[in-house]
Amino acid sequence: MADVGSDSAQEGGSEASTPSSSKRVTSLLSVMEISVTEPERRTGVTAINMKETYTVYLVETRITDMKSELLPETFTDETFSLWRRYSEFELLRNYLCVTYPAVVIPPLPEKKIHMMWQKLSGGEDKFDPDFIERRRAGLESFLLRVAAHGQLSQDKIFHCFLHLGENWKETVLATGYQNKKIYLILRTAQMDSRLKTLNAQFRLKNPDRRFQDLKNYSSELEANIANLLKIRERLAERLYGIHKIHANYGRVFSEWSGIEKEMGDGLQSAGHFMDVYAASIDSMLEEEDTYADALKEYLYFADALRSICRKQELLQYEVEKLEDKLVYLKAQKEQMEQGGDVKSGFSLKGMTTKLFGADTPETRDKKIKLLEEQTQQTEEQLQAAKWELSTYIDRSLQDVERFKRQKVRDLREIFINYSIMQIKLCKKGISLWNNTKECFTKM
Amino acid sequence: MADGTDSGFSEGQSSGPGGSSGPISPDLDPLNITTSTVDLEESLDMGAEGDPKSTGDDITTLTQSSLAGLRLDDALASDVHDLFVTVDDPEKHITNMESYITYRVTTKTTRSDYDSHEYVVRRRYQDFLWLRERLEATNPTHLIPPLPEKHSFRRLDRFSPEFLKTRQAALQKFLSRIVDHPTLSFNENLTIFLTAKAWELASHRKQAQGIMGKMGSSMRSMAAGYMLKNRSPEYATMQEYVNTFGAKMGTIDRINQRLLKEMTDYQQDLREFGPVFTLWSNSETELAPAMLGMASGVEKCEKALDQQISDQEHVFAPPVKEYILYAEAMKAVLKRRDSIQMEYELTVEDLSRKRNDREQLKMSDQSYSLGAFLGKDPEEVRQQKRTKLDSQIEELLKQVEVSNDSVECANADLKADLERWHRNKRRDVKEVFSELCDRNIQYYQECLSAWEETLQEINQKSELETASTLATPTSSCPDTPNLATPTSSITPPLPATPTKGGTEGGAAEGQGGTQ
Repeated sequence: MADVGSDSAQEGGSEASTPSSSKRVTSLLSVMEISVTEPERRTGVTAINMKETYTVYLVETRITDMKSELLPETFTDETFSLWRRYSEFELLRNYLCVTYPAVVIPPLPEKKIHMMWQKLSGGEDKFDPDFIERRRAGLESFLLRVAAHGQLSQDKIFHCFLHLGENWKETVLATGYQNKKIYLILRTAQMDSRLKTLNAQFRLKNPDRRFQDLKNYSSELEANIANLLKIRERLAERLYGIHKIHANYGRVFSEWSGIEKEMGDGLQSAGHFMDVYAASIDSMLEEEDTYADALKEYLYFADALRSICRKQELLQYEVEKLEDKLVYLKAQKEQMEQGGDVKSGFSLKGMTTKLFGADTPETRDKKIKLLEEQTQQTEEQLQAAKWELSTYIDRSLQDVERFKRQKVRDLREIFINYSIMQIKLCKKGISLWNNTKECFTKM
Repeated sequence: MADGTDSGFSEGQSSGPGGSSGPISPDLDPLNITTSTVDLEESLDMGAEGDPKSTGDDITTLTQSSLAGLRLDDALASDVHDLFVTVDDPEKHITNMESYITYRVTTKTTRSDYDSHEYVVRRRYQDFLWLRERLEATNPTHLIPPLPEKHSFRRLDRFSPEFLKTRQAALQKFLSRIVDHPTLSFNENLTIFLTAKAWELASHRKQAQGIMGKMGSSMRSMAAGYMLKNRSPEYATMQEYVNTFGAKMGTIDRINQRLLKEMTDYQQDLREFGPVFTLWSNSETELAPAMLGMASGVEKCEKALDQQISDQEHVFAPPVKEYILYAEAMKAVLKRRDSIQMEYELTVEDLSRKRNDREQLKMSDQSYSLGAFLGKDPEEVRQQKRTKLDSQIEELLKQVEVSNDSVECANADLKADLERWHRNKRRDVKEVFSELCDRNIQYYQECLSAWEETLQEINQKSELETASTLATPTSSCPDTPNLATPTSSITPPLPATPTKGGTEGGAAEGQGGTQ
């Protein structure tokens, strides 16, 4: 057990400090590819015998390096695939959250639309092809991120998700993850983030500064991204409008060309280019949507960060509660040993002494013995809780660092892609308006 | 005036305007017009700094449009090139009764019927209105260029610099079209307008009110064109063309207005977009430069869009509006031509009716006429009536000839004017729409360089980051938290006494915060 302790202390430092750890450079994703494709509609029957329609996705895995030692033993084929629906992804994620509480678990795409501005753009229908496609992309990203994570990618249940066609759900339930204490914490944390209330229960005496900061950071991240996405959506709508209005130019130029003699051809071609301009916005906005979705992923990541903080708070709360209890028990014992002297005002002891007479020496000894037992028990519990807390802190902070590095890379890539897209749009615009200008100058 | 010197002159001139580049040899430029235009440009440039009378920021637009006004038609023998006008320098006048704007109208000419080579007067919009009315009245068969509208409906501030700039350019165009016209440029009203002192002009304007009555006499010929019997189909075609053309121009104007509104809204949103990145950069460290780069890219695009919106409103829209008004002016002149033809046809009708009457008279019995009743001899009555009819028919024959001439003249004038108009229109359309394309190109180019810069900024920092992190091998293993412990669940240690102290110490360390 000292090993565990020293390991956790060591992991508090930089990652690749030991030569053996540098071997664990790659994750499962380096030896295989995962893709989520082909959404299909299925109909089935729910638990209460009601008919339901849902979408399933094909999860395809292709192994690129069959000889790698990272591969789980069950992966014997080079490619395999199976169908999964959204609720199964949810189950996998919940399981991972409970099993690896110190890890920032990648988020899933949303189940329902809960932001008003999304509803207005017609995304409410869960069978809307646009919605399904964006969900598909989000699910694929989720699996890729899990497979890229050193620890998560080794989980057997995850392997089964990719590989086991039947009874996967039962396998998950068989792990008994729902019975773990941390599961309750998880549910609380999930509900909290939904309701967005600060849980007043957990008033800590010495809140950990690092997690306070992390909590603040995650709120800021969430607010900033939400804001950005909202404005971007508005911008997209306006830009769409502007481009489509140019189609009217196309029409009027065409009509005008009919009454002109020498100008007719020039006007006709100019009209054609206006139509092209109007149509060009569609593909660009589709592309922009993918970057917006990538940003949205980090919106949900903020949530995951917050739940990490909450778990730490809960664990620390446990420790502080036990410490308080220990202090109380010790005080009780001292009081007993000093012969139940009722100095401080009102006390139950004082009352019972007055009413029923003082304890006999035997009863008092018994009580002291009981207190000593309780104290010992509490001390053991306290040790366990403290150990749990410190391990959790070390692991979670480490994973948070990993997350932060990943975030920097991901966000930078999003910005780069967005800029490249803008550049492309500008180049297209320049060429198109040059062509249009030629129509007029050649008139 | 249409002789060799003119065409030589025009050749020299056509290479000049459109840019003040290139020296024009003095021979081809006796009036020194091109250089004086250049001087005008320069004086405007210098005037731009802190000169209260300066016409605003966008000097290029001003001079371009003034040059466009000066620009000559494709060489046509009948075109005149010895009279040049410029309109500039709007000034506000405040009296007890009202406040209004006057513009400086500068005329340069070599014509002998002008006393001087150069005139400078100040005119207000009402004066331009007067001129147009007079031209229409004295040249009903000609197409008179339109004036910009009296009121601007969108902007209630008629003294705003943009409005004044736009109006000034439109007035300039109006005068340029008139002085380029072979007939209109010699109109005495124009001369008065260009040369008269303020009080002289005022007295002429009062006179005009008396002449207005003359219009009433031709009221009966203001019938609709479709009542004409002999209108040749080409006029119907012209009418159709004008109607469609006017409608299309109107549509283009409306599309432009819609675009402007959407673009303004888009600009609003852009103004909010940039600051979000800046705000976000406050909570990030490594990404802050990239985010600030994004913010600056957005800001630059917003500025470019601002310019684009302004240009579309103040440079593209006015010529389109002018051509809408031109279509109206064309409808008016077509109507007038129709009425002249109507006059002719009615006269012909009158003539044939009178001839008929004369025929009837030969066979009629005058015994029951009014004259006979009064005691005259019926044969005498017949003779009297016959004489009267004869003289009437004589008169009508003359009128028919005159009227026929009018029709022919009107047709010829109209044809010439329309030809000229089509030519100008083609040139204007080319110019105006090419410029619109240019503005869009400029907008996209500015955005392009903004985003290229942003991309550079984002990538630059990334290089710095990889450089710094190459020192520590941490980043080379992307996502592995590298937890050596394979435990997938948290299990508390067994409560064995010797380890208690060890873990306690370790746990306390952990709590203290080693990370």
